[in-house]
Amino acid sequence: MTQLVADAVRQASVNFVDTVAMLLPRVLITVSIVAVGWVIAWALKWAVRWILIWLRFNHGCDRIGVGAVLKTADLPPADTLVSLIVFWLVWVGFLLSGVDVLGFTALEGMVRSFALFVPRLLVAIVILVLGVVCANFAWRATLIAGVNARIPSPRVVSGGVRALVLILAGAMALDQIAVARTIVLTAFAIAFGAVMLGLAIAFGVGGGSIARRILDHWFPEHPGAEQEEFRHL
Amino acid sequence: MADESLLSDDLLRQLVALGHVDVLVGIPTLNNATTVVDVVRAAQAGLGKYFPRARSVIFNADSGSDDGTPVLVRDATTDDTGTVTASRPLRTTQRITTPYHGLPGKGSAMRMIFAVADLLSADAIVALDPDVTSVTPEWISALVRPVREGQADLVAPLYSRAAVDGPLVTQLVRPLVRAAYGWRVQEPLMGEFGCSRRFVAHCLERSWGTGVIPDGVDLWMSGEALANGFRPGQAALGPRLLAHARKPPGLPDVFQQVMDAVCSCLELHAGYWLSRGPAEPVPCYGTLPGAVELGPRPDVTRMAESFARDVSALNPVLATILSAPTLAGVTAAAATRPLVYPDELWAATVFEFLLAYHRAVMTREHVTQTLLPLYLGRTASFLLQHGSSGPAVVHDALESLGLAFEQAKPQAAAQWKKA
Repeated sequence: MTQLVADAVRQASVNFVDTVAMLLPRVLITVSIVAVGWVIAWALKWAVRWILIWLRFNHGCDRIGVGAVLKTADLPPADTLVSLIVFWLVWVGFLLSGVDVLGFTALEGMVRSFALFVPRLLVAIVILVLGVVCANFAWRATLIAGVNARIPSPRVVSGGVRALVLILAGAMALDQIAVARTIVLTAFAIAFGAVMLGLAIAFGVGGGSIARRILDHWFPEHPGAEQEEFRHL
Repeated sequence: MADESLLSDDLLRQLVALGHVDVLVGIPTLNNATTVVDVVRAAQAGLGKYFPRARSVIFNADSGSDDGTPVLVRDATTDDTGTVTASRPLRTTQRITTPYHGLPGKGSAMRMIFAVADLLSADAIVALDPDVTSVTPEWISALVRPVREGQADLVAPLYSRAAVDGPLVTQLVRPLVRAAYGWRVQEPLMGEFGCSRRFVAHCLERSWGTGVIPDGVDLWMSGEALANGFRPGQAALGPRLLAHARKPPGLPDVFQQVMDAVCSCLELHAGYWLSRGPAEPVPCYGTLPGAVELGPRPDVTRMAESFARDVSALNPVLATILSAPTLAGVTAAAATRPLVYPDELWAATVFEFLLAYHRAVMTREHVTQTLLPLYLGRTASFLLQHGSSGPAVVHDALESLGLAFEQAKPQAAAQWKKA
């Protein structure tokens, strides 16, 4: 009996030592990969940031309105944000590669999933940035045209246009990374439909006089009656 | 040299047959049947009366009228090519009318007129606006004589303007061109003008017709003359009355075209105007009659109220164009009753918009369109102060505005160089 217990303990010890002997190099490799990955990611972060500063990336983002949006959202400047994204993408990639080396069954396939996710994430970010740019352009164009055309409440109208474009871009980005796709699409469809219906009802019922004024302005009964009062040239 | 590819073979043959002319009157047209006849008659009468011994030609470049304008101008039958020469019964004045092919617009028409003038070696060239109903034979003399007598290479018009007349010129283009180019030209957007053969040859040598400023050719020519050492002059013509167009373009469109032309020219001539000093006077020929009010007085109170609303609505956009002190000044001005938009503030506003356009802080069209409500506010302010003032007071006020622009220029030029 005692012999049996001793054999079992010995076998367990041998197995443990074998397992440790087998796992330790993998752990060391994982740690090495993660550490090297961190260094590479950090270097890439600074390289990207330096290039973006050299390219005056922040200035460009300010011009297209992205800078203002980042400031409003209390996010860092555009060049810092992009370099941080690069850092985390690279380092998480190395991290998952390191974990994969450990050979845990539960973690198998994570690297492949991550590799598949990164392009979608990048596309989603591009969609968001383009959405912000388009939203700001549409907002400014609507605001200026509304003021010059004497449309009532131009800021409300232009703000609504910007919100709609941003919501559309957000929904597209979420759909791209497949986060709660069904919920996002359903929520977007319901919200968009509700907003449009609400606007139509508000415009037709509550804003009948405004609608009449706008239509009179656009389609005057006597063309030429709305000519400039005096010669500007 | 003239780009002969602009001219059809048939037209070239007729021009060669004409040989040298002393005076060429060019009239670019597009559906001007109601007014062009009087313009042609005035030109003929002016040439016959004031230059009886000169060989002269009236050249009409038509950009595809469908209301019979060319027929009215030429008073003769068309040949196969649509180009006609009709000998005028009085002296040696010829009339040529021809369609031109290419980009529609006054720029292309003027280019063709200049090419013809160059080919005919015309000593003096006059361009007339076919929409003007107040043109008289004396205009031809006023625009041609300084050129023929060697006093000027470009003779800009000088119109009698009441305070309410043409604020886009008096409040914006005139002081800006004066400060930038350093010449006190009253009408840089020359509706009519006279020029020398030398200036025509210069214009044809430039990259004209590349579509850079198709709607701003008049201002471009002013700028080219001022920036390249051609002697400017001004001819007193009197009031300028325009026929009512069938469908006049709206103010936003007109403003956009003018601002595009102004900004394009300043970009083009930056090498000249950035280092140009205080403005010099431009010689004036003739005496200008008193101004008459040409239309209804604007509702200035409504304009002032709109200005306050517009500044409030556009605040986020203005914040990206104007400096903090200027924006604060504009906001304060919008809140004043009665509205006062001071000269210095207006000059700073215009130059900061110009810098925003140059730096392209946003779509350039948005920059120029954002200036429109401020221009209307400034106009309202000026008319509130001087709408009922006498000509001398209005003249002094406009002179003061010009000086304010001149004072604001050095800082703007320094910032332009940094951008």
